[in-house]
Formats: sequence, structure tokens, C-alpha cells
Amino acid sequence: MFNRFASKAIIPVALSLTGFVVICSLILYSSIKADFLRDAVRQETSLADTVVSSTRYTMMTGDRKNLYHIIDSIGVQKGIEHLRIFNKDGVIMFSSDPGELNQVVDKTTAGCIECHSGPVPTVRLGSMQLARHFVNARDHNVLAITAPIYNDADCSAGDCHFHPSHQKVLGTLDIGLSTASLDSSLLALRWKMIVFCIMVLILSVGGVSALLRRNLLTPINQLLDYVKKVSEGTLENDFPRGVSEVETLGQSYFDMAREKHLAETTLIKAKKTDITTPEKDHKQGKK
Amino acid sequence: MFLRRKQKQSDLFTPVGTGLGQNQRRQEIQDRIQLLKKQIRNSKWWMALFFLVSLAAAVDFRFLPAIPETAKKFLGNAPPTTLISIALIVYAFSALILIMGHMNTGSVRFKGWSHIVYLSAFYLFYYYSGVLRDNFWPVFIAGLTILGLENYRVWSLCSEAIREEMKILNSLGK
Repeated sequence: MFNRFASKAIIPVALSLTGFVVICSLILYSSIKADFLRDAVRQETSLADTVVSSTRYTMMTGDRKNLYHIIDSIGVQKGIEHLRIFNKDGVIMFSSDPGELNQVVDKTTAGCIECHSGPVPTVRLGSMQLARHFVNARDHNVLAITAPIYNDADCSAGDCHFHPSHQKVLGTLDIGLSTASLDSSLLALRWKMIVFCIMVLILSVGGVSALLRRNLLTPINQLLDYVKKVSEGTLENDFPRGVSEVETLGQSYFDMAREKHLAETTLIKAKKTDITTPEKDHKQGKK
Repeated sequence: MFLRRKQKQSDLFTPVGTGLGQNQRRQEIQDRIQLLKKQIRNSKWWMALFFLVSLAAAVDFRFLPAIPETAKKFLGNAPPTTLISIALIVYAFSALILIMGHMNTGSVRFKGWSHIVYLSAFYLFYYYSGVLRDNFWPVFIAGLTILGLENYRVWSLCSEAIREEMKILNSLGK
């Protein structure tokens, strides 16, 4: 099977085309996924900043009741999985889930370790470093952002407050959004790319195979049949036509076979003449 | 190619018809067949080595110790993922073109070892950038395609050459 011309011509083309299209599609998918994720993180960072800005005044005035109310209202929005504010010691002071209140978060977990990996916590990180992706207890995929709440002149110089000016970070806001819509978009994209790959492969490999079959394989097979027929003794000029090289080959083979046939006929005639001539001579000699 | 050239040379210098010459020629053909079979075997071993490297990459080189901070400082920042991916596409494209070129020249030697080095380097670059898990499949498929095509090339040329040698060997036996 692998010795045949068809497989020798089609296998390398099909293999390299398939491989290359799949590699490009995978890289394209990976790049689009990274772009989607970066956009989602950017939006989430902006949302976290909005929450910090809108709660800043209530924090400064120490209006805890109002702050609880704001956190609850935002927390029940569709797509928000959790919203919590920690103090600088990692204790949850406000949360959309009342069961979490006053719990201490382990600083070595994802979302905390990024700043708390060294002896002195990092004050500023890039938005991608602040993001983390995990599956929560409700089995939802979550993309969470931890936004630090920085100390301000208003905070350290206010009459009612006690934050010293050297304290850079007062607490952290942690917001987690469900990635269900992002995941469904990526799944749809994945299927579209699979369909696109299959279509490209069918078109290219199928096209190459069909063209090879039409222009090369079928004429060669017809030529083989013709050669076999001529070898068996049928001298007809019905060799395959349409592909110039194959046609020339067929014509040459036909000419060669005809000349051979003519030569054979002449030889047979000559032999017959040779046989009959001595007989005649012999008869004439007797007379 | 080098085997065919060798064969032609041996055709020129071997005395035909003598028993000793025939035995010597038969031995030479058998040696060439062994060499061709070795090429096919070697190409399979290289493929197995690539699978082994890929297996290590699939588990994110978990068995390796973490890169020390001093080494990270010395090496500097990892190249952007997009750049590594573009390099992978360019590499895969040129490697496939090169293998197609080797198919035309008819060389039976396996030239896949350099591809294993390049592919392992891509795994390491993605690992160093911390995005190996997301980019494992493109490198694996690239390796599978390139080494698969190289293996097919060696196998098909060697099988053809072995068939030819066997024909000569059989004709000598008659």
C-alpha cells in the first residue's frame, strides 16, 4: 500500500499540511485566549478600582453600616462570586458572604503570595500578577483580583483616623467574577477553529488528492492497462489522452509496438518465402 | 545516496562470476541492508526520545528543582510568549520545507536529532516564561509532524533501498 505512487505523493503533503494547520490553530487559540483573559483582568481591575473609590468616603467616615450595605449590593450582582475587604493583618472585615467575616486568610494562598512571598510585602504589582484563576466551592470557575487599598493623605491626616502616614497599604479588596461567559466564548471559538481546520484540511488535502488523481494517477493507471493490453497482442491506438506527457508515452509505446509487429510480420513473411523458395527451386531442378 | 554510490563502486570492482566475488558481494549487500535497517531503528529511537521529553514537559518539568533566583537574575526576563510562538511557527514551517527538500535529494540518513534539540528548547522557553501548560500542545504537534515526516522519509527511502538490495541478493543466489 505504501509503495504505491498515490500514497507516496499524498502522505507527506497531508501530514505536513495537517500538522502545520493544527500548530497555527493551537497557537492562534492560545493567543486569543490570552487576549480574552487580559481583557477580563483589565475590566475586573477597573471594577475593583471603582468599588474602592466608591467606598473610600464611607471608609474615611467609618460608616460601617453603609459599607456593609454597599458590599452586599455589589455582591448580589450577576456574575460576582465574592467580594471582600481585608485589613492589613489579613482578617476579613467586610464580605458579601457573612459567614466569612472575621476569618483570617492564609498569606501563602494564591492572591496573597504574590505580594507576601518575601520578608517585606510588595506594595505594587501589575494587574496580571494580581489576578488568579480557580474553581470555588460552588464548582464555578472564578477569576479573582486583589486590589490593594492604599493610604492617602486624607486617611493619615484625618481627625477621626489612626493610620500612620508610613503605612503604605491599609487593606485589600478581593473581588471574584465568574468566568462562565468567557469560558463559553472560548468553547465556541474552539469549535469554530476545529471546524475551520477540518474544512481547510478537506479542501487542501482533498484538492491535492483530486488533482493528482485526475491529472496523474488515472492517466498512469490507464497507460498501465493499455501497455498490458498491447503486450497481450491487441494493437490499438486507444492510449490515454489529455495529459501531454502520458499521451506522448502512450503514442511512443504504440509506435514501438506497431513497428515491432510490422517487423515480426515481415520476418514471418520472409521466413515463409525462405521455406517456399527452396522447395520451388528443388521442383524446378527435378524438371 | 551515499549507499547507492557505494553500491555502484562495488559493482565496478567486484569480479563477476567467481564464487569468491559473489560471496563478497553478497556480504556487502547484507551489510548495506543492516545499515539501512539501523537507520530505520535509529529514527524510531529519536522519536521515542522526543516522546520522553514531551512527557516531562506535560507534567511541567515538576521533577526539576525550581530555578534559583540568582540564575533567574543572570538569565533576565523571559521572552514574550508571542515571540516564542512566532518563532515556533517559523521553525515548523522551515523544518517541513527542509524535510521536503531532503525527500527530493534521496538521502537515507535520519536528520531529526537537531529537531529534538530545537523542540526541547521551545519547551524550556515556555517553561521559563511560565506558560508551558497553555503552550504544550503546539510544540508537541510540531514535534509529531516534523519527526513523523522525517521518520516517514527515512522509512520510505530505506524500505525502497532494502527492496532493491534484496532483489540484487536474490539474483545473486540464482
